Amino acid sequence: MSGGTGASIQGRGITKIFGKGEDAHHALGPIDLDIKPGEFVSLIGPSGCGKSTTMLLVAGLEKASAGVIEIDGTPLTAPLSEVGIVFQDHLLLEFRNAIRNVMLQQEIRRLDKKIMRARADLLFAKLGLTGTENRYPWQLSGGMRQRVSIARALVHEPTMLLMDEPFGALDAISRTQIRHDLEMLWLETRKTVLFITHSIEEAVGLSDRVLVMSNSPGRIVDDIRIDLPRPRPAHLGDYPDFAQYAQRVYGTFEKLGVYRFK
Amino acid sequence: MATTTDAAAVMATTPRPLKGAWLWSLVFPALSVGVALGAWEIAARVYDIPLWLVPKPSDFLARLVTDFRLIAGHAWVTSTTLALGFLLGVLFAVPLAFAIVSVRTLERGLFPVIVFLNIMPKTVVGPIFIIWFGISPLVSVFIVFLMCFFPVLVDSLSGFKAVDPRLYHITRSMGASELQTLRYVRIPGSMRYIFAGMKIGIVKAVEGVIIAEFIASSAGLGFMIMRASSFMDLTLMFAGLIATALMALVFNGLLLGSERLLMPWVRQP
Repeated sequence: MSGGTGASIQGRGITKIFGKGEDAHHALGPIDLDIKPGEFVSLIGPSGCGKSTTMLLVAGLEKASAGVIEIDGTPLTAPLSEVGIVFQDHLLLEFRNAIRNVMLQQEIRRLDKKIMRARADLLFAKLGLTGTENRYPWQLSGGMRQRVSIARALVHEPTMLLMDEPFGALDAISRTQIRHDLEMLWLETRKTVLFITHSIEEAVGLSDRVLVMSNSPGRIVDDIRIDLPRPRPAHLGDYPDFAQYAQRVYGTFEKLGVYRFK
Repeated sequence: MATTTDAAAVMATTPRPLKGAWLWSLVFPALSVGVALGAWEIAARVYDIPLWLVPKPSDFLARLVTDFRLIAGHAWVTSTTLALGFLLGVLFAVPLAFAIVSVRTLERGLFPVIVFLNIMPKTVVGPIFIIWFGISPLVSVFIVFLMCFFPVLVDSLSGFKAVDPRLYHITRSMGASELQTLRYVRIPGSMRYIFAGMKIGIVKAVEGVIIAEFIASSAGLGFMIMRASSFMDLTLMFAGLIATALMALVFNGLLLGSERLLMPWVRQP
């Protein structure tokens, strides 16, 4: 896991419009991105603000309607290969056990089996999955399924990790633990992470930088540098600064009309 | 912390099979069938029911032994017809389902035809086929084919459509080719659905093969029952009924067995 360092993401004027003519829906942008190698950046914003679209654009899985995205200085034209993706749903193959779900990367990319298996075993150990190798997804708890999904996204040692609300379906206790485990993995490997979330606590708890997005069309309205020491504790309230960061995000949401409290 | 609770959750949800459960799954049905037949036997003896009209279980079960060669011969013909029609049905339905899912225009064009053929009672083609092919096993094979083709087609369609599109995002980022996606994701992912269709198909196929043999054959259990009927040989008719049920049981068992063999990941109830 000491392999390649993270990739940089540069985006200028990224815009996404779905459909054409009168049905056209301006979903995103224009937004600029400037993410440094090895940086942990969160995108936070209300539903439908284009967070997931941004992620797919960065992965090269969707084409931008306008604007340029450069990964390590190279303009993006095809789906990015040096990337690991984790969604809210684990999306594991029900017919493969945990280890073979991870080894799908090896089989499809035709990489060396021994090396990949060793990496998978190491990841399993770090993610607390040792002993679950031969279990099928239905035999795993929600938290463990998501851990396997993270292992699948990292086993080929990508330079970038894209996560779309990866802990959204988990209970609060599992979430806190998996948040910490992800942070530890990241501290060790320093992949560039683009982390999409609805949770202010998760965003502030994990990120170097939090990008706050507004709704339709999605735009970046705030860019908050989080200067908290790592690794961060389970209870983020221990940091007096945490409340200020959280307050700043809540404040932005209130200004945007995301919250309408009376 | 959560890791240990996760592990505990896994321990709790992993089913531990009861020892000898399969034995009980044989004993209980055998017991209930035995009780039903026993009650029938006693009623037939006590109430003096005319045996030429309603035979005793002991009579028609004995025919299974005394006429074993005759019944087994016909059962063999029926089984091969059934297996051939069923396999043809699956071999045509699964690739067609894949083609329909892959090519949108094919779905639009073929769907009305498929719906029409599906609601049409399959046996009506029997008399037409007799004129075309004569009294031949081909007619039965074709009717069995039609009977199991549609359930397999419909379930395979949902199987090929069932893949979460976001999974394709992941396989595309892995650089998977169409062929790899098919091999690693779509085909194994749809197998559960194909088997569900086959389980419905096999039941329909058994029904279809007997009816087909009633109308257009010179061998097979359906033919044997029909001929016994013309001789008022009711014990042989009942023996044929039992043999048909046993045959259906064997085919179902084969299907369930291959399901467990091919899909070890499926949660066993």
